[in-house]
Amino acid sequence: MTLAAALPTYGWSQALADLGQISPIATLVGFMLFAIVADLVLPRQRRSGVVAMIAVTGLAYSLGTAVYRWLYTQGGPAYSGMATGDSFALFFDVLFASLGILTVAISHSYLQKRGMREGEFHILMLGSIIGMMVLASATSLVTVFLGLELLSIALYIASGFARDDDRSQEAAAKYLLVGGFASAFVLYGMALVYGAAGTTLIPDIAKQVAGTAASNPLLTLGIVLMGVGFAFKVSAAPFHMWTPDVYQGAPIPVTAFMSVGTKAAAFAMIVRVFAGGLPHLAPEWQALLAFVAATSMVVGNLMAITQSSLKRLLAYSGIAQAGYVLIGVIAGGKIGLAAVLYYLFVYMFMNFGAFAVVTLLAGPDGDRDRLSDLNGLYRRNWPMAVLMTIFMLSLAGFPPTVGFFGKLFLFTAGVSAGYTWLVVLALIMSVVSVYYYVRVLVPVWSTTARAEPLRASPSSTLAIALSGVLSVALGLYPTTLLIAAQFGALPYGGP
Amino acid sequence: MTLTAIWLLPLVGGILIAFIPPRFAKWLGVVVALVTLGIAGGVALAFAPGYHGYQFTEQVPWIPQLHVFYHLGVDGISIWLVVLNALLTVIAVLATPLTMRNVNRFIGLMLAMSAGMAGVFLAVDLVLFYVFWEAMLIPAYFLLWLFGEGERPARAAIKFVLFTLAGSLLMLVGVIGEYVFTGQQTFDLAKLATIAPSANIQFGLFFVFALAFAIKTPLFPLHSWLPSAYLAAPTPMLVTFAGVMGKAGAYGFLRIAVPLFPNPVGWWDWRWVMPALAVAAIIWGALMAIAQRDMKLLVAYSSVSHMGFIVLGIFAYNVQGQQGAILQMVNHGIIIPALFLFVAWIADRTGTRDRSALAGLAPRMPVMAGVFTIVVLAALGLPGLNSFVGEFMTLLGAWERAPVLAAIGAVGLVLAPVYMLRMFQGAMYGEPVGPRPSGDIQAGQLALVTPLIVLMFAIGLYPYALTQLMTSVAQAGLYR
Repeated sequence: MTLAAALPTYGWSQALADLGQISPIATLVGFMLFAIVADLVLPRQRRSGVVAMIAVTGLAYSLGTAVYRWLYTQGGPAYSGMATGDSFALFFDVLFASLGILTVAISHSYLQKRGMREGEFHILMLGSIIGMMVLASATSLVTVFLGLELLSIALYIASGFARDDDRSQEAAAKYLLVGGFASAFVLYGMALVYGAAGTTLIPDIAKQVAGTAASNPLLTLGIVLMGVGFAFKVSAAPFHMWTPDVYQGAPIPVTAFMSVGTKAAAFAMIVRVFAGGLPHLAPEWQALLAFVAATSMVVGNLMAITQSSLKRLLAYSGIAQAGYVLIGVIAGGKIGLAAVLYYLFVYMFMNFGAFAVVTLLAGPDGDRDRLSDLNGLYRRNWPMAVLMTIFMLSLAGFPPTVGFFGKLFLFTAGVSAGYTWLVVLALIMSVVSVYYYVRVLVPVWSTTARAEPLRASPSSTLAIALSGVLSVALGLYPTTLLIAAQFGALPYGGP
Repeated sequence: MTLTAIWLLPLVGGILIAFIPPRFAKWLGVVVALVTLGIAGGVALAFAPGYHGYQFTEQVPWIPQLHVFYHLGVDGISIWLVVLNALLTVIAVLATPLTMRNVNRFIGLMLAMSAGMAGVFLAVDLVLFYVFWEAMLIPAYFLLWLFGEGERPARAAIKFVLFTLAGSLLMLVGVIGEYVFTGQQTFDLAKLATIAPSANIQFGLFFVFALAFAIKTPLFPLHSWLPSAYLAAPTPMLVTFAGVMGKAGAYGFLRIAVPLFPNPVGWWDWRWVMPALAVAAIIWGALMAIAQRDMKLLVAYSSVSHMGFIVLGIFAYNVQGQQGAILQMVNHGIIIPALFLFVAWIADRTGTRDRSALAGLAPRMPVMAGVFTIVVLAALGLPGLNSFVGEFMTLLGAWERAPVLAAIGAVGLVLAPVYMLRMFQGAMYGEPVGPRPSGDIQAGQLALVTPLIVLMFAIGLYPYALTQLMTSVAQAGLYR
């Protein structure tokens, strides 16, 4: 027998099929490499615009690929079960690609205003998005970790992108240290689960541990350690300490991007690993996540009240929102996971939109994110004031915005699954949240303020306006997105 | 499409008006409000009496995954409030002074708020009801905050919003709970009224719903947002804010709390707690009104007392009480705006709302005094004017339930003349004291209150015209 015969066969057809399953990621990788080359060879003054165009094209292409596959193909495992192109992955591919386009749209004028190198920025964003997509497609603990690190490392650099700004440097250092810490936790947990199950393929883990007693210390410890790491990544309390500092220090487009992207990716990871790999140990991780959710809602909402920096305020609000979304994850099943996907998708528009408006305020010397910097926004640029109002009302959960419907779906799932106490807590804390969201609106509509007009570049205006319109439209007509979310949740939406 | 137009027209009109030049705003607003009133009036005229159930229904699936429908309808309970809302919106827009800053935004927000309130009365689906219920807070908040009077309108506005939200967000648990715990997975109000969960669950769900409605009504002891909010609200806003929005709470009791939870008994029996609170509200509101010197606050507290009668009638659990409550909702919606308008006009002419600083105004503003007399007499429940019939019916219903409730409630009838007449006599008669009024009522203002005055007489003299078309929850077969 020759050596060639003993090797597993991996022919062209198999390679193409595997590549097809992850085609949204593959196309984006291609475009990122193209962008790197373009950034190297083009003359300096033309670089930034071209790289931004390549990034947008690549993201749009990736988005189109994902939608096409969503509509016309059957997703399935690829690379011997290491990754998958199922509807869950595609849903997140669409989300991340849209988020990327929005980010490029708002960061172009921001970077020019602050005199930053644009090429690297967009390439880093693309790298991070690829990491998120890998995470969403991962069906093996190894791939999960690969995606997690890819997205994190790109963001560590991006957080410190304002090189002459001390706070940006501090944010990057903090994020790197805490993020590395969290990664270590996840890795430790994975090692223990591997020890118990003997495989890193998530579907196989589910089969292996089905018969194992819940008292297996390896598994329990593994769940706890991974849970801690995941809680770090979704910035859920009590592992949230890094969030406000990093959000505040990082340049706003980066903050806007990671406040939505990292959170969504981390939720994808939680669902993949916990709901996908350890369904038989649901009581264990549900208890852990319920504790984390309750703490997040209380801590996030209470801490947000006293913030005077918009970035910090939105950071704490994000911590609280992570708590709400966790309710859906805990409830699980078809309704719960569909609610999670719906909420993450619409959270992109409302939260990103709020950050995007703050981006406009930035000056050449730095970000202006005090609450008082919003003074007289209505006089300076009234459409932005109206849009900011929509974002805040949506985050606060007022109908008819998407925030309300997202909460309705999450909480219906929560009550159906028997977590009424968690839902009651969430709603009580929502009352608190209204106070600080409305506090943001006070300077926006204040009449006694300076009134020099605030200019917004066309691309930023378009991105923010689109977010605002969708924040209302997807609430008035939630059906289509909800069907998509249900379809996306199909792989894990068992009984 | 008729019922959709009743809420959609003011909403779309309001959004448009907010962005047109201020000088056209008022007249376009009046047109939108009048057309809406026309549609609402047409529905009321075409309304078939004696038919128990929803009429003019529109039903379209909205969120099929959760069995949520866009489902509108009117019945003998809601039609009156729909018409009242449309009528008061016209008056409120007409009462808006053209000199107001950003008058286009004001009228736009007023119409949006009116749209939200219309939606609350029209919705037959619990989620849709909730959406309108919360959505109407947004324009109300901006109106109070951006156009509020007094020292710190922003504070009053946020207090109002947080108070109301504390109730209504918990109500969301109730909405979801109804969906889950009845086991039928429906939000349809008519269907939910035929299936009730177990008594313990009813007890809990009744609490979350009643809390929201009690705050909105407001019911003692949850009324503390009201004085500051009413004090801050500009007068044209008060016409609908006091005239209609408070009714939304009472309407919620009647539409949801009573029929959906026929047996809310757990640690205690809510069916006795609510009337007890209502009686307390009647007395407390009246006593607080007596203690006020600011006439706006006095009227605000009198409103607390009057709303107590409505809640008492609703929780009498019989036809007289509930018909009286519905009638009284309409009556109160006619009287309170008139009272607030007069108080504002007197304050305009004299520069003060302090009743003790005024006296002997009547000889110097005879027409104003004359018309104000009618309103005051209606407010204190003089036979022959509208309020008497409603209060009498609610007390009759309460008497059937438990004589003691009616006996204590009747004390409120005795206290009403005390605060109303003290305000009226003190300000209007006696030796002239205080600032000299700058003039009598204007013709336009008189025209503004004329429809209200006519209604006070009409309903007072021939209440049967309305009550025969009203159905109580009991008659509508909405609870067993």
